[in-house]
Amino acid sequence: MSRFLGKSLRTKGPLFLHKILGISSESHNILVLSRYRRHFSHSLPHNTSNLVPSTGSLQIRFFASEAAAATTEPSTSDGLTVQGILANNWNILDENDGDWKSHATAIAQSIHLIKRRLHWEKLKVRLDMLSFQLSKEDLWDDPVRAGKISREHGSLLGKMKEVNAFEQELLEHIDMIKLAREENDADLESESLKALLNMRRNAKEKELEALLSGEQDSCSCYIEVQAGAGGTESMDWAAMVMQMYKSWAQQRGYKVTVVDEMPGEIAGIKRATIKVDGEFAFGYAKAEIGVHRLVRISPFDSNKRRHTSFAAVAVIPILGDGSTHVQINESDLRIERFRAGGAGGQHVNTTESAVRIVHIPTGVTATCQNERSQHQNKASAMAVLQSRLDQLEMARQAQFNAQHTQSLTDITWGSQIRSYVLHPYRMVKDLRTNYEVSDPDSVLEGDLDSFILSYLSASLDKDDDA
Amino acid sequence: MNLTLSSVYRPYSFPTLLKSSSFSTLSRPFCSSALSSPPTCVKPQVPLFLRPPIYSTKLCELKKWHDWAKGVAFSIGSTFVHSDNGRDSSILFREMKWLMEDAVEDHSMIVDDERVKMRIGIDELYCLWKQRIHERRPFQYVVGCEHWRDLVLSVQEGVLIPRPETELIVDFVYDVVSENEDLKSGVWADLGTGSGALAIGIGRVLRSEGGRVVATDLSPVAVAVAAYNVQRYCLQDKIELREGSWFEPLKDMEGKLVGLVSNPPYIPSKDISGLQAEVGRHEPRVALDGGTDGMDALLHLCDGAGLMLKPGGFFAFETNGEHQCRALVDYMENNRSGSFCNLEIRADFAGIQRFVMGFHQ
Repeated sequence: MSRFLGKSLRTKGPLFLHKILGISSESHNILVLSRYRRHFSHSLPHNTSNLVPSTGSLQIRFFASEAAAATTEPSTSDGLTVQGILANNWNILDENDGDWKSHATAIAQSIHLIKRRLHWEKLKVRLDMLSFQLSKEDLWDDPVRAGKISREHGSLLGKMKEVNAFEQELLEHIDMIKLAREENDADLESESLKALLNMRRNAKEKELEALLSGEQDSCSCYIEVQAGAGGTESMDWAAMVMQMYKSWAQQRGYKVTVVDEMPGEIAGIKRATIKVDGEFAFGYAKAEIGVHRLVRISPFDSNKRRHTSFAAVAVIPILGDGSTHVQINESDLRIERFRAGGAGGQHVNTTESAVRIVHIPTGVTATCQNERSQHQNKASAMAVLQSRLDQLEMARQAQFNAQHTQSLTDITWGSQIRSYVLHPYRMVKDLRTNYEVSDPDSVLEGDLDSFILSYLSASLDKDDDA
Repeated sequence: MNLTLSSVYRPYSFPTLLKSSSFSTLSRPFCSSALSSPPTCVKPQVPLFLRPPIYSTKLCELKKWHDWAKGVAFSIGSTFVHSDNGRDSSILFREMKWLMEDAVEDHSMIVDDERVKMRIGIDELYCLWKQRIHERRPFQYVVGCEHWRDLVLSVQEGVLIPRPETELIVDFVYDVVSENEDLKSGVWADLGTGSGALAIGIGRVLRSEGGRVVATDLSPVAVAVAAYNVQRYCLQDKIELREGSWFEPLKDMEGKLVGLVSNPPYIPSKDISGLQAEVGRHEPRVALDGGTDGMDALLHLCDGAGLMLKPGGFFAFETNGEHQCRALVDYMENNRSGSFCNLEIRADFAGIQRFVMGFHQ
């Protein structure tokens, strides 16, 4: 922004200053100038550093000013706000049309959508509550809880600041355009329009980021696929679904590891688990939880009949170290190695390194066979078990994972989310969003992003409580 | 009682493979210090996954091999299981996948490229899988390494393949070291070290402590391979290798050891002929044959432990199972009474009473 100001001063110095002094009040001059000099923060880190409280009263003042700043709706110098832009209902034209009103309206709509996706009003209430907690004198008596509150506060404050900064930037660019027009400064107007266009494109990315605002969305995850009833055809379908996710994850640049795989008797898999390592893997993949339905002429049917098969998909976040984990007692575990019968030891050569762990109180199990040593497989199975128990606990507390629970226990018919039809016509349709494509092959090769994003959009935008 | 077996199975000779590999061209980072070869100058083989990818093969040729190997494995079905509790098809499939993992340099196998970089020629790949199936050559010898705990240990003919049961001994050592300060800074001994598995496992437990490990083996091949493995894990300063029979290389340490571990030969001689083909046909008999009752070495270790350990020193031995464990404990309580305390029998993951441990009085 200082570039704009410098340019104006160089080319239109005397006239510019004269206009300001002649037209505006002194206080308005100060406001305008201070805005021009303000430094913009275009992207705040997702995890701001922990806030360390100094004194209660100082904190109260700090957070009060933050709340006040958040509450005051920013506007242009002539009083135009984001809500005002939306209310004007200006036409949204193609990006290439150099109309600042069109760009501004598109950006304003994006800001509105982002706030809805972040549950803006809830976020503000939550932030106020956390600020209140942070101001208590006895906060650090419980360092673990204090750290958790501080981290969440930092995260929410970061999100709010980022959106507010984006909003402010929009309004200041509009001010610059109007100022440039008053001064007949074509270069300045052109640069400001270009800045608005860039903002319009960035806004689309920010809309996407807002879809992944859940607490676990940034986590890596395990994806499990389980064949439904129906024998060989269902197992083959389960293998196809698992291959689809491997391809999807690899195309997105995630690291994929097969943790566990139980092959079918003739073809495909009965069940398999992959680990998908990368940021926001869970955020995206959670859209795949549910039952996937295939209709095709089965290659395993010598009579060439059409078959319908099902595969259940579960997605489990791998929580970071900062999260609370379910405590696991070693004595609650039963650890099994496969083919453990016989004399063992020096009597046998083995490459069977698979390990299965059962958590006796809950019945939750984890099997790992990818590693080439039993020691390593036990470590991997423990990690999977930890994630499953953590998720079980979350579901018990929040009941927001009912879909996951149901999808595993009611495989044949419950919670269908998508149909893949290969015969007599070809189509893949998401039953939750009605989004459909007519090329099943590309979907099965991992082209899932459109389905995922349409589901994430639909499920978040449905909760209209901004 | 002293084992005097001097015969050692000669390793397979692979002159072509040996020519194609040299330490300076290893694809993995290598310790800077030079490998000091033992007196007999046995040169250890480089495991497959560490060889340079100097071969090139068409992707379609590799796929042809893959289909052939899979067909061979599939035709085995449960034959090996019924014969001697060997592998079934599904595990052979996994072994085949792991063999490719070690042999092929770029695991992603980009389809755009028509050629694949390999660490062995495609002909050798056919040869290795035939050995695996037709000769029942252990998979670990085929790829030249065994994954054990979080280690990848070089193994070859003439060296016992470390067993998963033996992984637990390192856990026992970790537990006892955590509770006893004295055991952290003294000298440990691993007798009959083979590939060096226990010595390296314990060496890593003692990594930040002052303790050291002396590992001994009768076999010059085993000593050479163990030295190679020790060097790969940069533990030369902590682990010393000595060649010789049981306690003979440790005469200078009588009454000074803080810890003693061993996985000695413990199979009764009469059972050797009935062993699984991978074991009986290929692994060194000197590391398996425990004599008439399978306890010759174990009893010798008990006598030696009484002599070599300092007061408060810890020992752990692997055995054939419950019968040997009980016999060993009886022997120590009756014949060496006053020497040992806190004798304990521990089970392996299959629930078989496998380990005897205790402390010097």
